[in-house]
Amino acid sequence: MQEYLNQGIKGIIKQFPAVENILDDYNIGCAPCSIGSCLLKDIIDIHNLSPGDEEVLMGRIAGVIYPGQEVTIPRMERKAVAGAGQKGYSPPMKKLVDEHVLIKRLVALIPGIIDNLDVESEPGRGVIKDSVDFIRSYADKYHHAKEEDILLKYADENLDIIKTIYEDHENGRAHVRAILKGLADRDEAAVREHLKAYQELLTEHIKKEDEILYPWLDRQLSITQIGELFSEFNRKDEECGDTPEKYEALINRLEPEYKLKEAVK
Amino acid sequence: MTAFEGCPGSKMVDFREKDTEEETAGKVKSQLAQWPIQMHLISPMAPYYQGADVLLTADCVAYAMGGFHPDYLKGKAIAIACPKLDESQDIYVEKIKSWMEDAQINTLTVLTMQVPCCAGLLQLARQAAESSTRKVPLKSIVVGIQGEILSEEWA
Repeated sequence: MQEYLNQGIKGIIKQFPAVENILDDYNIGCAPCSIGSCLLKDIIDIHNLSPGDEEVLMGRIAGVIYPGQEVTIPRMERKAVAGAGQKGYSPPMKKLVDEHVLIKRLVALIPGIIDNLDVESEPGRGVIKDSVDFIRSYADKYHHAKEEDILLKYADENLDIIKTIYEDHENGRAHVRAILKGLADRDEAAVREHLKAYQELLTEHIKKEDEILYPWLDRQLSITQIGELFSEFNRKDEECGDTPEKYEALINRLEPEYKLKEAVK
Repeated sequence: MTAFEGCPGSKMVDFREKDTEEETAGKVKSQLAQWPIQMHLISPMAPYYQGADVLLTADCVAYAMGGFHPDYLKGKAIAIACPKLDESQDIYVEKIKSWMEDAQINTLTVLTMQVPCCAGLLQLARQAAESSTRKVPLKSIVVGIQGEILSEEWA
Protein backbone atom coordinates (compact mmCIF):
# COMPACT_ATOMS: atom_id res chain seq x y z
CA MET A 1 0.00 0.00 0.00
CA GLN A 2 2.91 2.34 0.85
CA GLU A 3 3.86 2.79 -2.82
CA TYR A 4 0.36 4.05 -3.64
CA LEU A 5 0.17 6.37 -0.63
CA ASN A 6 2.95 8.44 -2.22
CA GLN A 7 1.35 8.58 -5.67
CA GLY A 8 -0.79 11.38 -7.16
CA ILE A 9 -4.49 10.70 -6.76
CA LYS A 10 -5.21 11.36 -10.45
CA GLY A 11 -2.81 8.62 -11.48
CA ILE A 12 -4.41 6.19 -9.04
CA ILE A 13 -7.90 7.00 -10.37
CA LYS A 14 -6.64 6.43 -13.92
CA GLN A 15 -5.22 3.04 -12.98
CA PHE A 16 -8.13 2.06 -10.70
CA PRO A 17 -11.28 3.94 -11.86
CA ALA A 18 -13.40 2.51 -8.99
CA VAL A 19 -11.39 4.70 -6.57
CA GLU A 20 -13.16 7.76 -8.00
CA ASN A 21 -16.57 6.48 -6.81
CA ILE A 22 -15.19 5.68 -3.36
CA LEU A 23 -13.83 9.24 -3.04
CA ASP A 24 -17.17 10.63 -4.25
CA ASP A 25 -18.88 8.82 -1.35
CA TYR A 26 -16.90 11.09 0.98
CA ASN A 27 -17.48 14.24 -1.13
CA ILE A 28 -13.84 14.18 -2.20
CA GLY A 29 -14.20 15.23 -5.81
CA CYS A 30 -10.71 14.59 -7.18
CA ALA A 31 -11.88 13.57 -10.65
CA PRO A 32 -12.83 17.05 -11.96
CA CYS A 33 -9.73 18.66 -10.41
CA SER A 34 -7.61 20.28 -13.10
CA ILE A 35 -4.34 19.13 -11.52
CA GLY A 36 -5.05 16.15 -9.25
CA SER A 37 -1.47 15.79 -8.09
CA CYS A 38 -2.34 15.57 -4.36
CA LEU A 39 -0.85 12.40 -2.94
CA LEU A 40 -3.21 9.72 -1.70
CA LYS A 41 -1.74 10.02 1.81
CA ASP A 42 -2.49 13.79 1.90
CA ILE A 43 -6.16 13.39 0.95
CA ILE A 44 -7.06 12.38 4.51
CA ASP A 45 -5.49 15.47 6.04
CA ILE A 46 -6.71 17.93 3.42
CA HIS A 47 -10.31 16.71 3.66
CA ASN A 48 -10.24 16.38 7.47
CA LEU A 49 -11.72 12.87 7.56
CA SER A 50 -12.53 11.44 10.97
CA PRO A 51 -10.36 8.47 12.07
CA GLY A 52 -13.36 6.17 11.49
CA ASP A 53 -13.98 7.47 7.97
CA GLU A 54 -10.24 7.31 7.26
CA GLU A 55 -10.14 3.63 8.19
CA VAL A 56 -13.16 2.71 6.06
CA LEU A 57 -12.09 4.84 3.06
CA MET A 58 -8.53 3.50 3.00
CA GLY A 59 -9.81 -0.04 3.49
CA ARG A 60 -12.11 0.30 0.47
CA ILE A 61 -9.32 1.80 -1.67
CA ALA A 62 -6.95 -1.01 -0.61
CA GLY A 63 -9.71 -3.48 -1.59
CA VAL A 64 -9.72 -2.04 -5.12
CA ILE A 65 -5.93 -1.95 -5.48
CA TYR A 66 -5.27 -5.34 -3.87
CA PRO A 67 -8.49 -7.34 -4.35
CA GLY A 68 -8.74 -10.36 -2.04
CA GLN A 69 -5.49 -9.56 -0.22
CA GLU A 70 -4.96 -8.52 3.35
CA VAL A 71 -3.23 -5.15 3.41
CA THR A 72 -1.81 -3.19 6.34
CA ILE A 73 -2.67 0.48 6.06
CA PRO A 74 -0.65 2.92 8.16
CA ARG A 75 -2.56 5.73 9.89
CA MET A 76 -2.02 8.92 7.88
CA GLU A 77 -0.03 11.73 9.44
CA ARG A 78 -2.13 14.84 10.07
CA LYS A 79 -0.43 18.19 9.50
CA ALA A 80 -3.56 20.10 10.48
CA VAL A 81 -5.42 19.45 13.70
CA ALA A 82 -9.00 20.62 13.94
CA GLY A 83 -9.92 22.77 16.92
CA ALA A 84 -12.31 21.05 19.30
CA GLY A 85 -15.68 21.41 17.65
CA GLN A 86 -14.60 24.58 15.81
CA LYS A 87 -17.35 25.63 13.44
CA GLY A 88 -17.50 27.97 10.48
CA TYR A 89 -14.87 29.94 8.60
CA SER A 90 -12.54 32.25 10.49
CA PRO A 91 -13.18 35.95 9.73
CA PRO A 92 -10.43 36.29 7.06
CA MET A 93 -11.55 33.09 5.28
CA LYS A 94 -15.17 34.26 5.51
CA LYS A 95 -14.12 37.48 3.78
CA LEU A 96 -12.68 35.47 0.86
CA VAL A 97 -15.76 33.24 0.68
CA ASP A 98 -17.94 36.36 0.58
CA GLU A 99 -15.83 37.80 -2.25
CA HIS A 100 -16.45 34.60 -4.20
CA VAL A 101 -20.16 35.40 -4.27
CA LEU A 102 -19.63 38.34 -6.65
CA ILE A 103 -17.26 36.26 -8.80
CA LYS A 104 -19.85 33.47 -8.97
CA ARG A 105 -22.43 36.03 -10.13
CA LEU A 106 -20.10 36.97 -13.05
CA VAL A 107 -19.47 33.28 -13.81
CA ALA A 108 -23.24 32.69 -13.86
CA LEU A 109 -23.56 35.40 -16.54
CA ILE A 110 -21.10 33.73 -18.90
CA PRO A 111 -23.54 31.25 -20.59
CA GLY A 112 -25.85 34.20 -21.43
CA ILE A 113 -22.91 36.24 -22.71
CA ILE A 114 -21.84 33.30 -24.90
CA ASP A 115 -25.38 32.81 -26.26
CA ASN A 116 -25.52 36.48 -27.27
CA LEU A 117 -21.90 36.75 -28.34
CA ASP A 118 -21.18 39.59 -30.75
CA VAL A 119 -17.55 40.48 -31.37
CA GLU A 120 -18.32 42.88 -34.21
CA SER A 121 -20.51 45.59 -32.68
CA GLU A 122 -19.24 48.05 -30.07
CA PRO A 123 -21.96 47.14 -27.50
CA GLY A 124 -21.22 43.42 -28.00
CA ARG A 125 -17.49 43.96 -27.58
CA GLY A 126 -18.19 46.25 -24.63
CA VAL A 127 -19.82 43.42 -22.65
CA ILE A 128 -16.74 41.23 -23.15
CA LYS A 129 -14.42 44.07 -22.20
CA ASP A 130 -16.48 44.79 -19.06
CA SER A 131 -16.36 41.12 -18.10
CA VAL A 132 -12.60 40.98 -18.63
CA ASP A 133 -12.21 44.18 -16.61
CA PHE A 134 -14.16 42.52 -13.78
CA ILE A 135 -12.01 39.40 -13.96
CA ARG A 136 -8.75 41.33 -14.01
CA SER A 137 -9.58 44.06 -11.51
CA TYR A 138 -11.90 42.33 -9.05
CA ALA A 139 -11.34 38.57 -9.33
CA ASP A 140 -7.60 38.81 -9.95
CA LYS A 141 -6.15 42.07 -8.65
CA TYR A 142 -8.48 42.43 -5.67
CA HIS A 143 -9.30 38.82 -4.69
CA HIS A 144 -6.58 36.52 -6.05
CA ALA A 145 -3.88 38.99 -5.02
CA LYS A 146 -5.11 38.66 -1.41
CA GLU A 147 -4.60 34.93 -1.74
CA GLU A 148 -1.26 35.02 -3.51
CA ASP A 149 0.36 37.97 -1.73
CA ILE A 150 -0.99 37.29 1.75
CA LEU A 151 -2.90 34.05 2.46
CA LEU A 152 -0.76 31.49 0.66
CA LYS A 153 2.40 32.90 2.23
CA TYR A 154 1.17 31.29 5.45
CA ALA A 155 1.16 27.85 3.81
CA ASP A 156 3.86 25.54 2.51
CA GLU A 157 3.93 26.58 -1.13
CA ASN A 158 5.46 23.25 -2.13
CA LEU A 159 2.30 21.38 -1.19
CA ASP A 160 0.28 20.14 -4.15
CA ILE A 161 -2.93 21.77 -2.98
CA ILE A 162 -1.19 25.18 -2.97
CA LYS A 163 0.49 24.56 -6.34
CA THR A 164 -2.96 23.67 -7.71
CA ILE A 165 -4.41 27.01 -6.58
CA TYR A 166 -1.55 28.95 -8.22
CA GLU A 167 -1.93 26.90 -11.38
CA ASP A 168 -5.68 27.59 -11.50
CA HIS A 169 -4.98 31.33 -11.20
CA GLU A 170 -2.41 31.18 -14.02
CA ASN A 171 -4.78 29.17 -16.23
CA GLY A 172 -7.50 31.76 -15.61
CA ARG A 173 -5.12 34.56 -16.64
CA ALA A 174 -4.22 32.64 -19.80
CA HIS A 175 -7.91 32.32 -20.71
CA VAL A 176 -8.38 36.06 -20.20
CA ARG A 177 -5.43 36.81 -22.50
CA ALA A 178 -6.93 34.46 -25.09
CA ILE A 179 -10.34 36.15 -24.80
CA LEU A 180 -8.77 39.56 -25.43
CA LYS A 181 -6.77 38.21 -28.36
CA GLY A 182 -9.93 36.66 -29.80
CA LEU A 183 -11.68 39.99 -29.40
CA ALA A 184 -8.84 41.85 -31.15
CA ASP A 185 -8.88 39.29 -33.99
CA ARG A 186 -12.73 39.33 -34.20
CA ASP A 187 -12.45 35.56 -33.61
CA GLU A 188 -15.84 34.68 -32.13
CA ALA A 189 -15.01 30.96 -31.75
CA ALA A 190 -11.90 31.70 -29.69
CA VAL A 191 -13.74 34.14 -27.43
CA ARG A 192 -16.52 31.58 -26.93
CA GLU A 193 -14.05 28.76 -26.23
CA HIS A 194 -12.07 30.67 -23.62
CA LEU A 195 -15.10 32.23 -21.92
CA LYS A 196 -16.52 28.72 -21.50
CA ALA A 197 -13.18 27.39 -20.26
CA TYR A 198 -12.93 30.26 -17.76
CA GLN A 199 -16.44 29.54 -16.51
CA GLU A 200 -15.63 25.86 -15.96
CA LEU A 201 -12.27 26.59 -14.36
CA LEU A 202 -13.60 29.18 -11.91
CA THR A 203 -16.63 27.09 -10.93
CA GLU A 204 -14.38 24.22 -9.90
CA HIS A 205 -11.72 26.54 -8.44
CA ILE A 206 -14.13 28.36 -6.12
CA LYS A 207 -15.63 25.06 -4.95
CA LYS A 208 -12.12 23.78 -4.25
CA GLU A 209 -11.26 26.85 -2.17
CA ASP A 210 -14.53 27.13 -0.26
CA GLU A 211 -14.81 23.45 0.56
CA ILE A 212 -11.19 22.31 0.84
CA LEU A 213 -8.49 25.01 0.92
CA TYR A 214 -10.01 27.51 3.37
CA PRO A 215 -11.25 24.95 5.94
CA TRP A 216 -7.87 23.20 5.72
CA LEU A 217 -5.96 26.46 6.25
CA ASP A 218 -8.27 27.36 9.14
CA ARG A 219 -7.28 24.11 10.83
CA GLN A 220 -3.58 24.89 10.31
CA LEU A 221 -3.36 28.54 11.31
CA SER A 222 -2.88 29.76 14.87
CA ILE A 223 -5.21 32.41 16.26
CA THR A 224 -2.33 34.91 16.01
CA GLN A 225 -1.99 34.16 12.29
CA ILE A 226 -5.76 34.49 11.83
CA GLY A 227 -5.62 37.95 13.40
CA GLU A 228 -2.66 38.98 11.21
CA LEU A 229 -4.44 37.79 8.07
CA PHE A 230 -7.57 39.70 9.00
CA SER A 231 -5.58 42.92 9.50
CA GLU A 232 -3.66 42.45 6.25
CA PHE A 233 -6.87 41.80 4.30
CA ASN A 234 -8.36 44.98 5.79
CA ARG A 235 -5.26 46.92 4.71
CA LYS A 236 -5.62 45.53 1.19
CA ASP A 237 -9.30 46.52 1.15
CA GLU A 238 -8.35 50.07 2.11
CA GLU A 239 -5.79 50.19 -0.73
CA CYS A 240 -8.41 49.04 -3.22
CA GLY A 241 -10.92 51.74 -2.22
CA ASP A 242 -14.28 51.38 -3.91
CA THR A 243 -13.34 48.36 -6.07
CA PRO A 244 -16.01 46.03 -4.56
CA GLU A 245 -18.79 48.60 -4.94
CA LYS A 246 -17.73 49.45 -8.50
CA TYR A 247 -17.81 45.83 -9.66
CA GLU A 248 -20.96 44.96 -7.76
CA ALA A 249 -22.61 47.82 -9.67
CA LEU A 250 -21.35 46.28 -12.94
CA ILE A 251 -22.84 42.87 -12.07
CA ASN A 252 -26.11 44.54 -10.99
CA ARG A 253 -26.22 46.22 -14.42
CA LEU A 254 -25.42 43.06 -16.40
CA GLU A 255 -27.74 40.63 -14.59
CA PRO A 256 -31.04 42.11 -15.84
CA GLU A 257 -29.60 42.19 -19.38
CA TYR A 258 -29.10 38.45 -19.21
CA LYS A 259 -32.28 37.89 -17.21
CA LEU A 260 -30.30 36.55 -14.28
CA LYS A 261 -32.07 37.83 -11.26
CA GLU A 262 -31.91 34.90 -8.87
CA ALA A 263 -29.32 35.43 -6.20
CA VAL A 264 -26.11 33.41 -6.58
CA LYS A 265 -24.97 32.19 -3.18
CA MET B 1 -41.46 18.72 31.52
CA THR B 2 -38.90 18.64 34.37
CA ALA B 3 -39.38 20.43 37.65
CA PHE B 4 -37.80 23.87 37.99
CA GLU B 5 -34.42 23.40 39.62
CA GLY B 6 -33.34 27.01 40.02
CA CYS B 7 -30.52 28.91 38.35
CA PRO B 8 -28.21 26.53 36.43
CA GLY B 9 -25.31 28.79 37.33
CA SER B 10 -25.84 28.16 41.06
CA LYS B 11 -27.10 24.56 40.88
CA MET B 12 -25.10 22.19 43.09
CA VAL B 13 -23.24 19.48 41.18
CA ASP B 14 -20.90 16.96 42.82
CA PHE B 15 -18.42 15.19 40.53
CA ARG B 16 -15.87 14.08 43.12
CA GLU B 17 -16.02 10.51 41.82
CA LYS B 18 -14.42 11.37 38.47
CA ASP B 19 -10.95 10.08 37.71
CA THR B 20 -8.53 12.54 39.28
CA GLU B 21 -5.35 10.83 38.10
CA GLU B 22 -2.51 13.28 37.51
CA GLU B 23 -1.61 13.53 33.83
CA THR B 24 1.57 15.56 34.21
CA ALA B 25 4.45 15.17 36.56
CA GLY B 26 5.86 18.14 38.41
CA LYS B 27 4.70 21.73 38.55
CA VAL B 28 2.80 23.35 35.69
CA LYS B 29 4.43 26.67 34.92
CA SER B 30 2.22 29.75 35.15
CA GLN B 31 1.77 31.47 31.80
CA LEU B 32 0.40 34.67 33.30
CA ALA B 33 2.49 37.54 31.98
CA GLN B 34 0.77 40.60 33.46
CA TRP B 35 -0.99 42.13 36.45
CA PRO B 36 -3.73 43.16 37.15
CA ILE B 37 -6.22 40.92 35.37
CA GLN B 38 -9.65 41.82 36.76
CA MET B 39 -11.64 43.79 34.19
CA HIS B 40 -12.36 46.72 36.54
CA LEU B 41 -8.67 47.00 37.41
CA ILE B 42 -7.00 46.68 34.03
CA SER B 43 -6.11 49.54 31.74
CA PRO B 44 -6.91 48.66 28.12
CA MET B 45 -3.90 50.73 27.09
CA ALA B 46 -1.42 48.69 29.14
CA PRO B 47 1.56 47.68 26.98
CA TYR B 48 0.81 43.94 27.16
CA TYR B 49 -2.50 44.50 25.33
CA GLN B 50 -0.91 46.33 22.38
CA GLY B 51 -1.37 44.18 19.27
CA ALA B 52 -2.00 41.12 21.49
CA ASP B 53 -4.20 38.08 21.23
CA VAL B 54 -6.44 38.75 24.21
CA LEU B 55 -8.44 36.31 26.34
CA LEU B 56 -11.56 37.67 28.03
CA THR B 57 -12.29 34.92 30.49
CA ALA B 58 -15.17 34.32 32.87
CA ASP B 59 -13.86 34.03 36.42
CA CYS B 60 -14.70 30.32 36.78
CA VAL B 61 -13.02 29.14 33.56
CA ALA B 62 -9.46 28.83 34.83
CA TYR B 63 -10.68 26.71 37.77
CA ALA B 64 -12.67 24.37 35.52
CA MET B 65 -9.96 23.79 32.89
CA GLY B 66 -6.99 21.72 33.98
CA GLY B 67 -4.84 22.88 31.09
CA PHE B 68 -5.84 26.55 31.05
CA HIS B 69 -2.32 27.96 31.42
CA PRO B 70 -0.45 25.90 28.75
CA ASP B 71 -3.40 25.43 26.37
CA TYR B 72 -5.05 28.88 26.39
CA LEU B 73 -3.16 31.51 28.36
CA LYS B 74 0.31 30.91 26.92
CA GLY B 75 1.37 33.82 24.72
CA LYS B 76 -1.79 35.84 25.34
CA ALA B 77 -2.91 38.82 27.38
CA ILE B 78 -5.91 38.34 29.66
CA ALA B 79 -8.71 39.99 31.56
CA ILE B 80 -11.26 38.23 33.74
CA ALA B 81 -14.82 39.14 34.69
CA CYS B 82 -18.05 37.66 35.96
CA PRO B 83 -21.04 38.70 33.88
CA LYS B 84 -23.40 37.51 36.61
CA LEU B 85 -21.97 39.20 39.68
CA ASP B 86 -19.85 42.14 38.53
CA GLU B 87 -21.31 45.65 38.66
CA SER B 88 -21.00 48.55 36.18
CA GLN B 89 -20.47 46.32 33.16
CA ASP B 90 -20.95 49.23 30.76
CA ILE B 91 -17.34 50.08 31.68
CA TYR B 92 -16.35 46.64 30.36
CA VAL B 93 -17.88 47.46 26.97
CA GLU B 94 -15.84 50.67 26.79
CA LYS B 95 -12.64 48.84 27.76
CA ILE B 96 -13.16 46.10 25.16
CA LYS B 97 -13.82 48.77 22.54
CA SER B 98 -10.62 50.52 23.59
CA TRP B 99 -8.69 47.24 23.17
CA MET B 100 -9.91 47.09 19.60
CA GLU B 101 -9.49 50.74 18.64
CA ASP B 102 -6.63 52.03 20.79
CA ALA B 103 -4.58 48.98 21.76
CA GLN B 104 -5.10 47.53 18.23
CA ILE B 105 -5.40 43.99 19.61
CA ASN B 106 -4.91 41.18 17.10
CA THR B 107 -7.76 38.87 18.22
CA LEU B 108 -10.22 38.53 21.09
CA THR B 109 -11.20 35.12 22.48
CA VAL B 110 -14.05 35.00 24.99
CA LEU B 111 -13.99 31.97 27.26
CA THR B 112 -17.21 31.37 29.20
CA MET B 113 -18.74 28.59 31.24
CA GLN B 114 -21.70 26.61 29.93
CA VAL B 115 -24.14 28.16 32.40
CA PRO B 116 -26.59 30.52 30.66
CA CYS B 117 -25.73 33.66 32.65
CA CYS B 118 -22.11 33.40 31.47
CA ALA B 119 -23.18 34.13 27.89
CA GLY B 120 -23.52 37.75 28.99
CA LEU B 121 -19.74 38.12 28.71
CA LEU B 122 -19.83 37.25 25.01
CA GLN B 123 -22.70 39.67 24.61
CA LEU B 124 -20.58 42.47 26.08
CA ALA B 125 -17.77 41.63 23.63
CA ARG B 126 -20.19 41.62 20.69
CA GLN B 127 -21.64 44.95 21.78
CA ALA B 128 -18.14 46.45 21.93
CA ALA B 129 -17.20 44.93 18.55
CA GLU B 130 -20.31 46.36 16.90
CA SER B 131 -19.57 49.86 18.14
CA SER B 132 -15.85 49.66 17.39
CA THR B 133 -14.59 51.33 14.22
CA ARG B 134 -11.80 48.75 14.01
CA LYS B 135 -12.82 45.11 13.64
CA VAL B 136 -10.90 42.13 15.04
CA PRO B 137 -11.60 38.39 14.85
CA LEU B 138 -13.77 37.41 17.83
CA LYS B 139 -13.89 33.80 18.98
CA SER B 140 -16.20 32.22 21.55
CA ILE B 141 -15.20 29.12 23.51
CA VAL B 142 -17.72 27.58 25.90
CA VAL B 143 -16.35 25.38 28.70
CA GLY B 144 -18.27 22.70 30.59
CA ILE B 145 -18.20 22.58 34.38
CA GLN B 146 -15.73 19.71 34.28
CA GLY B 147 -13.37 21.60 31.98
CA GLU B 148 -14.39 20.09 28.64
CA ILE B 149 -14.68 22.30 25.53
CA LEU B 150 -18.35 22.33 24.52
CA SER B 151 -18.06 24.64 21.55
CA GLU B 152 -15.52 26.78 19.76
CA GLU B 153 -16.73 29.16 17.09
CA TRP B 154 -16.06 32.50 15.48
CA ALA B 155 -18.56 34.98 16.86
